[in-house]
Amino acid sequence: MEMKRNTTKLLWLLMFSDIVLFSYEKSLREQAIELMQDARLIDGHNDLVLRLRIFYQNRLSAVNLRELNKTHTNLAKLQAGFVGAQFWSVYVLCSAQNKDAVRLTLEQIDVVKRMCNSYKELEFVTTSQGISDSRRIACLIGIEGGHSIDSSLATLRMYYDLGVRYMSLTHSCNTPWSESSSKGMHNFYPNVNGLTAFGQEVVKEMNRLGMLVDLSHTSDMTAKAALSISKAPVIFSHSSAFSICNHSRNVPNDILQKLKKNKGIIMVTFNADVLACGRKVVNVSTLADHFDHIKKIAGSESIGIGGDYDGVERFPEGLEDVSKYPSLIEELLRRGWNETELKGVLRENFLRVFREVENVRNLSKLMDVGESETLQEVQNSCRLDLRNHQPQKVRSFGFSSVTQPLSLTFVTVSHLILYYES
Amino acid sequence: MPGRSVVVLALALRLLLPSAGQQHREEAERIMTTTPVIDGHNDLPWQLLKRFNNQLGLPEANLLLLNDTHTNIPKLRSGHVGGQFWSVYVPCDTQNKDAVKRTLEQIDVVHRMCELYPDTFACVGDSDGIRQAFQSNKVASLIGVEGGHSIDSSLGVLRTFYRLGVRYMTLTHSCNTPWADNWLVDTGDEPALHHGLSSFGKTVLEEMNRLGMIVDLAHVSVETMKAALNISKAPVIFSHSSAYSLCQHRRNVPDEVLRMVASTGSLVMVNFYNEYVTCRDTATLTDVADHMDHVKKVAGVQSVGFGGDYDGVSRLPTGLEDVSTYPALVAELLARNWTEEELKAALAENLIRVFKKVEEVSTARRSWGHIQHGDMGTHRAQGHIEHGNTQSMGTWGHIEHGDT
Repeated sequence: MEMKRNTTKLLWLLMFSDIVLFSYEKSLREQAIELMQDARLIDGHNDLVLRLRIFYQNRLSAVNLRELNKTHTNLAKLQAGFVGAQFWSVYVLCSAQNKDAVRLTLEQIDVVKRMCNSYKELEFVTTSQGISDSRRIACLIGIEGGHSIDSSLATLRMYYDLGVRYMSLTHSCNTPWSESSSKGMHNFYPNVNGLTAFGQEVVKEMNRLGMLVDLSHTSDMTAKAALSISKAPVIFSHSSAFSICNHSRNVPNDILQKLKKNKGIIMVTFNADVLACGRKVVNVSTLADHFDHIKKIAGSESIGIGGDYDGVERFPEGLEDVSKYPSLIEELLRRGWNETELKGVLRENFLRVFREVENVRNLSKLMDVGESETLQEVQNSCRLDLRNHQPQKVRSFGFSSVTQPLSLTFVTVSHLILYYES
Repeated sequence: MPGRSVVVLALALRLLLPSAGQQHREEAERIMTTTPVIDGHNDLPWQLLKRFNNQLGLPEANLLLLNDTHTNIPKLRSGHVGGQFWSVYVPCDTQNKDAVKRTLEQIDVVHRMCELYPDTFACVGDSDGIRQAFQSNKVASLIGVEGGHSIDSSLGVLRTFYRLGVRYMTLTHSCNTPWADNWLVDTGDEPALHHGLSSFGKTVLEEMNRLGMIVDLAHVSVETMKAALNISKAPVIFSHSSAYSLCQHRRNVPDEVLRMVASTGSLVMVNFYNEYVTCRDTATLTDVADHMDHVKKVAGVQSVGFGGDYDGVSRLPTGLEDVSTYPALVAELLARNWTEEELKAALAENLIRVFKKVEEVSTARRSWGHIQHGDMGTHRAQGHIEHGNTQSMGTWGHIEHGDT
């Protein structure tokens, strides 16, 4: 009799716990969605625009961005993922360095603008206020790799004028002035360590302009140099934690600590290869481990999200495309992250950083415009050397002396003199 | 001796009474006070690059004091220059090399010039901006790209230049592009590649019409002139070219083309360079006035403008040595019985008319969901005005015609 009662109790207990567990899981998911509806994601890095070039040669008429299914990203998925703002990367390949990187970058910027003007779901913005105010998916632009400026501060300024709001100092190649974290992928400027003097000028000019300094893809030396020079908070638009997976794209603890002091942000990335260091199983939990670690070292206020969708091939199970962000938030909720921390991760931390960068710009009004050059390091056959330039037509300046028109009086007087003397 | 005294008396009278020349000069100043000149082409940015590597912060680059260029701020003021298209020329040698970047650097130096001297220059991007600059007594500053090689055959780059404030593009400088022939084809110095514009060249021109960028035909071959004048839906300009009839230099505009200029409502902004004015290395102010008279005769006064080419050439006529001398030229035209109306047209109103028409054509083409060539049909809604990038543009304040 007693056993029967105990079994019944046990059965009830099991049923009850099932119900509780079931409603507990459902409610986390719901919580995640409610949170994200309220605080839509600002994602730091997406390479859809590169895909548009590769697949469609930037012909927007050939593609419907709402339903596109060849890519991780389309507009329907972004909406399902509660993405409120996206930095579109205007990456051009490192192999264009010293060739037509500038032209290619301008073309990528052009396609972002056309894209964002063509769909009512999208809206091009350039300020923190613009992101806050937008009821659509706010579009911003990030340059991925200093090779895009071809060592020209003027070009950097023009990119800012076109709406670019961050630049990753390197991609996977060194520039004449900054060192990449990638070794051996390219042969450019192998002797550059960290930031050269000109590289420091670039960071200063970015501060003056109000362009976010992005340290993803840079070497540790470059990151440390930038963190010590920059007067504004900096970002890692798409990097994860070196302690969890010691990939050169990830950020070690000492730099995370400097980032915390700098009040910057690391927008954790979802590239499976940098999350799991070769482990076979890579899922939401693997990614969440990076979040937990960085929170421990640098505080949740230093964290954001930079998926790198359409920029890499492998993503964790459960995070295959841009509609899946809520799964990450759900996992973090499960791990005890609270609403404030999560809203920070989703958008508030980034907005704080962006506002401070804008503030530094406003305070820099009296700073001199950057006019330095780096001539020696960059001589190559694709550059015209104007110092020894002989123009094709004679355009050289030869200013003859100004001839004074003879005054009427002088003529008259001389006539008079001559007349009377004759 | 009575004869001699009469002469002396006559001479004395001439001394005492104001001369006709002086009267014209005063009249010219009066007219130009309310209608300053909008000049089509000045290469000061090139001088800034050659002399100072665009380092405007250098003391020797002070535009108030600079004294060995044709252009500086005091001279612009005394010349009553109210509007100037600054050329962002980069040499043809940069074609297929770093032309795009160098052009960006020249655009940047113009922007910075406006930021450094905000009391003098107002960088503007439309015809309304020019009028506003006139009101506030500043030099309306616009940008012209000089040579299609600057876009490296990329419509994306062309659109970018428009976004950065470029408002005309000279289709070629003195070299063929992969899509347009230049004037050296007409001298036989270079082979014709396209006999005017290639198919892509026509696409470029159509995109310029859609954007609202003025097509400039200085430096192009005659076939290119005719092709452009035939295709363009908006009036075009010659930012710095003179009359072939008076000086048979292939940089000049032949009469048959002048007639097309007239029928399209286009504009020839007369160049002052001696070689194009007299076909010799010397010239005088009256020779330039002859060109203006000729264009007026063949194409009508609505087709005449001023495109001095200051700081882009080495030999200028006696009387027109630098940018302070425009009033002297206007005085000469007054002596040739140009009316005040006609002078105002040539000084500024013609350019403003052309620019407005170019803007209208652009607005119409955008709102009709016109197919955007090269990157195909993004069907546009009404072209909205995007006060783009004003945060970074300081004194710029241009209207970016929406969805470029």
